[in-house]
Order: sequence, then structure tokens, then C-alpha cells
Amino acid sequence: MKKRLARVLVLVLVAAMILAAGCGGKSSQGGEGQKDAKAGGEVIKIGALFPFSGNLAVLGEESFRGAEIARQVINGKGGINGKKIEFVKADAVDAKAAVAEAERLITKEGVKIIIGTYSSTLSYAATEVAERNGIIYWELGAVADDITSRGYKYLFRVAPRAREYGSIGATYAATVVAPALKKDPKDLKVAIVYEDGLYGTTVSKFAKSKAEELGLKVVAYEAYSTKSVDLSPLVMKLKEAKPDVLLATQYLTDLLLLWKQSKQLDFKVPVIIGTGGAHSNKEFIDAVGANEAEGVMNVGFSSLGVNSSFGPGLEDFLKLYKDKYGREATSAYPHVNYAGTQILFKVIEQAGSVDPEKIRQAALKVDLPVGSTMAGWGAKFAGPDTKEVGQNLNTSMIIDQWQGGKQVVVWPDNAIKPGVKPIIPLPSWKQ
Amino acid sequence: MLLNLGQLVINGLLIGGFYALISIGLTMIFGVTNLVNFAHGEFLMISMYATFWLHKLFGLDPYLAILVVAPLLFLAGVIIHKLIIERLLTAPHHMQVFATVGLSIVLVNLALFLWQADYRSVSTPYSDASWVAGGLRISVPKAFGFFVALAMAGGLLAFLKLTPMGRAIRATAQDQHAAKLMGIDIKRVYLWAFGIGTACVGVAGAILTPFYYVFPTVGQFFVTAAFVVVVLGGMGSMVGAFLGGLIIGLVESFSGFFIAPVWKEMVYFGVFVLILLLKPSGLFGLGQE
Repeated sequence: MKKRLARVLVLVLVAAMILAAGCGGKSSQGGEGQKDAKAGGEVIKIGALFPFSGNLAVLGEESFRGAEIARQVINGKGGINGKKIEFVKADAVDAKAAVAEAERLITKEGVKIIIGTYSSTLSYAATEVAERNGIIYWELGAVADDITSRGYKYLFRVAPRAREYGSIGATYAATVVAPALKKDPKDLKVAIVYEDGLYGTTVSKFAKSKAEELGLKVVAYEAYSTKSVDLSPLVMKLKEAKPDVLLATQYLTDLLLLWKQSKQLDFKVPVIIGTGGAHSNKEFIDAVGANEAEGVMNVGFSSLGVNSSFGPGLEDFLKLYKDKYGREATSAYPHVNYAGTQILFKVIEQAGSVDPEKIRQAALKVDLPVGSTMAGWGAKFAGPDTKEVGQNLNTSMIIDQWQGGKQVVVWPDNAIKPGVKPIIPLPSWKQ
Repeated sequence: MLLNLGQLVINGLLIGGFYALISIGLTMIFGVTNLVNFAHGEFLMISMYATFWLHKLFGLDPYLAILVVAPLLFLAGVIIHKLIIERLLTAPHHMQVFATVGLSIVLVNLALFLWQADYRSVSTPYSDASWVAGGLRISVPKAFGFFVALAMAGGLLAFLKLTPMGRAIRATAQDQHAAKLMGIDIKRVYLWAFGIGTACVGVAGAILTPFYYVFPTVGQFFVTAAFVVVVLGGMGSMVGAFLGGLIIGLVESFSGFFIAPVWKEMVYFGVFVLILLLKPSGLFGLGQE
């Protein structure tokens, strides 16, 4: 009797596990897109693969909203070559779901183009399916370098690569931080810390090689596991190294832990540059407070705080966003995805068809200079005989800084709003 | 350099105190019921959330919250024991693993559903405070955690040695059949042992909250170390869990500084394997291999 009960219980638990894991897995189709389809004649169907539920859902949804606004704008202008655009939403909770959903989009929905994905892991999995089926995959937001290093024919990535976070952080340290601290770049001591996953390792490898190339002194180059609950050994190492600049590629929890333990063990550094994103998170400033975050910088792919000449049309876009979703945009994800989707629409228009081969040819011919889209990027894709087929080479990045609890852009010069000056060193360091 | 060494010892002992604090409950449950509770980390998570909400809604200090959270977790432990664990005690080990791992996944997802994946923290005046003495810095909340761990281990030992229930628990841990023959209600003993184990993790959660973050998967960050500590200390041994925690803390602190932070987990797992090779029953094992 007991055994039977136990068995039943295990079954119930396993069922609960499956339910818990799968409850986010349901997919929805673009309701609004379908309404448009019925109203018009011919439509162009595009798959929109993002994490709409689960851990990554918040920024996945933000990313999709950018693309959705781009769709509405173009449909409002009569569509592409007279055809309205329709999105078929696909929910990629995790890599497994990304594969299944990409397959569904291609085989059941019959789309010839998929846009996505926000997360690199999801993109990595879904792009493989698209390539195998000869379908265009238009990557708007995932940054892992490896995505475009597989020689895929039908994959195009508008977003920059992760490596650029690292090299831009190092460049900024050499060209702006060193003079501001009245130091020769050769004497500028740089510490690089990173989480030991693919993301941190890639970014930091390039931060280190760029720093060395620029003649900076790399005094610490340390990885740690994000599962670590105690970073005091790392803090002790940093204390010994006495860096002028800390370049850090982190996720949120480990950033907060390092922050707390640095304070506790009295480790201070004049300049902190996040190379990746955690430092510009709203959760970061919520946790440490505006006072402590004052002056912390972050390399990112765009920002709400850019000068309108850097990303033309941003103000209008933010108005559209607010009208549609009833609140202000809180991150750069919507407008970056908007810009990337617009480039895709331009390519479809020039191709005059949704045939993947024709779109590929048209995409390879695109040549938009840096600064021509709202994200600040241009578009020029690496050709088939390069190492990074389909990667946008005309991307750009920005550096923003917490000032008075708000993010302002401090680099490059043409993205800075009038009157904004970087705060170097950190006010907390001077005390 | 000497100063650094001193600081490393302090850091190691303080984080080790936490590992001990979390491991004591786990070793208690294992020692008595022979059940490996894979949902232990999730009990920690629940107690951290409980502490967080008590602070947020009623302004209760996390340390005072122990008085609420520990009984609450005792109750939760008793309920879970009645509903799930009790039926599994005679089941094969793989079924126990299924059930507790399943419970852990359910609890994590429940937390995700109820409180989202946000990181929450409790800020108290002493959260970031340190005592500074001769250049050495001692984190106040961690030092407090260390002493609570010490007191808890001592208190539990006294409870086991001096009270009738404690004696019954020890008897059952040694030989459940003999204990049963002597008239001990072992069902009740198991219930108590499980409840005490979860109450201990309730204390740990409340102590942890002032300086760590609360999020649904937080338990998994601590529980790996706790498992290592429990096995290292000799499964079921209270003193072993306490000293095992300190050893792991010191190994982490030193290897992180002298080798590299990224290697510290590997080094402590290395030490763990080594000790098990030399003394398979753990440092304070009862000799059963």
C-alpha cells in the first residue's frame, strides 16, 4: 500500500514538473497580424521568434514590441510593394522550444523569413533549423560572436557582436579615462573581471587583447562562476592589484554580490565600466541606490539617452511606443529591434520577393553607413567568403553612465546630448 | 601579506559559518531518516522569502524574523513530511530522489510564478557594516551568522543529548528497528527530525537575507556547498557539518586568492574527493561505509 502510494506520488510530482516546465511553452499567434491579413489582399508572413514567457520574457517582449511597431508603421504606409506584413508569433522559452517553434514556423506556417531572438542561446538553436531549411533568419538582438561564425548562408545579424563590448571598454579607458585621470595610457592599470560563461569569456578576451594592444597595464584578469556565493577572494585580489579602471562583464546577481563585498572589504576603484549590460540594468540602481551608482559606466548597443542626431527618429518612435503600449519605453531593446526590422523591410522591398535566395542577394547589396538608423547602426553584411558570413559590419556602440539616477550617454561624441560631461573618477572613490 | 592572510582566514571562516548553518539541517534529516533532501535549497529560498516579506510588510528585522520563520519552516517541514516524505521512507532511494527533486522543481516554479524572477534584497543598517580592527575587516552580518551557526549546532547537540525526544532521535538514527522494539514511535521521531531540519534552514534563511539576494533559484547557489559539507563532515554528524563548513570556507578563500577565483569551486571539490578517498565515511563519520 505504501509503495503504491509512493508511486502515485512520484507520478503526481513528475506530472507537476512537466506542467511547471511546460506552462510557459504554449505559443500564440499574432492576433493583430491576422486581422490585418483578412482586411488586405496578399500578405508577407514573417515568423517572430522571441522568449514571450519564462525567465527571459520581459526583455524578449520588449524586443518584439520594437519589431511590431515597425510592422504597423510600414503597413500604415501600404506595406511592402503593396503587400501587408503579418507576424506569426513563436514563443521560445528555452533552446528546445526555440527549435520546435522554428520548425513549426517553417513547416506549418510556411514562413520564409524569421526574425528574433534577444537571447544568444535561443538564437544559436533556432538559426540552425532555419539554415537547414534554407529560410532567412534575421537576427535583431542576440550578440554572441559564434552565431555568425558558422558560415550560414541565410543568416543575417543586424546586431553587433559581443566582442565589441570588450574592445570598446578598453578603447574608452585608453582614450578618455587615462587623460581624465591625468595618466599616460601606459601607466593606466586595468583590471578585467568576468563571469566564466561563454558571454563573459568572449567579451573579456577581446577587452584584454584590445587593452594590451593599446599599451594599457592589465593588472588582473580574473574569472569567477556566477554560482559563487562568495567573491571575497576576488575582491582581495583586486585590492592587491590596485587598478585604475575595472572592466567587468557580469550578470546581475554576481554584480550585486561583488558590489556588496567590495564595499565590505573596502575595495575602491576610480572608474568602473561594465562591458555587457548588467551595470545599466534598472535592477542594479534599484539595489545599490542612485548615490552609489553615480558615475558607473556601461558599454551598450544603444540607449534611450542618445542625442537625436545619433539615432534619427528616436523621439518619434518613443511616442509611438507610448501610444501603443501605454507606458514609456524603459530600455533600448524596442528601438534597436525596430531599426533592425526596418532594415529587413528595406531588403524585402529591394528583393521584390520573399524568396530566400533573392532576399539573400538583396541583403548582401545593402550598404547603409553607421548612424543612418535609429539604433545608430548602419548595415553592411559580411559576404559569403568571409569568416563571419551575414554579420553586420556597420554597427556601433555607446557608453552610458549613471548620473543623478538617470542614464546619460557619454560616448561617442556625436551621441552625447548637449551639456553632458562624463564623471571621472567616481564620486564614491574621491571620498 | 600577513594582513592579507589574516583577512583570508576571516573571510573563509565567515563564509564557512554559513555553509555550516545551511548544512546542519540537511545533515540532521539525513542522519535520522536516511533521506537525501534535494529540496533543501528550496526550503532555504522559502525562508528567505518569508524573511523578506516580513521585513517588507511589517518592518520586522531579519534577525527577529527568526522567531517567526523558524517555527513557520518547522510547520512547513511537518506538512511536507506528512504529505510526501513519510510515504517515501521505505521506498527505494531512486524514488526518494525523484520525489525530492520534483518537490524542488515545483517549489522553484511556484516561487517564479508568485514572485517573478526579480532579485530582492533587505537593507538593514548592519547589512554592509564591518568591524575594523588593525586593518582586518569583519562583516557584521556574517559574524552574526557564524555565531548563530555555532549556537545552533551547540543547541541541537544539547537537545539530542538531554531531552527525551533528542534521545529518541539518536536511538532511531542508530538503529530504527531496535528503536521501534524499545517502544519508540519512530514515525513521530521522523516527523520531528524533518521539522527540526527545516526549522534550521529557516534560521539560515533569515540570517542570510540581510546580505544576500532573494530570488527563486537562490537555493541552488548554496545547496551544492551544503551537500559537500554534509558528506565531508560524515553524513549525519552535527560537529562534522560545522567543521566541514569551515573547512570548505577556508579552502575557498585561500584557493580563490592564491590560485584564481574561478578555480575555487574546483579546488574544494578536489579536497572533497581527496578526503573521501582517504576517509570514505567523512571526517566524523560513524564508520559505516
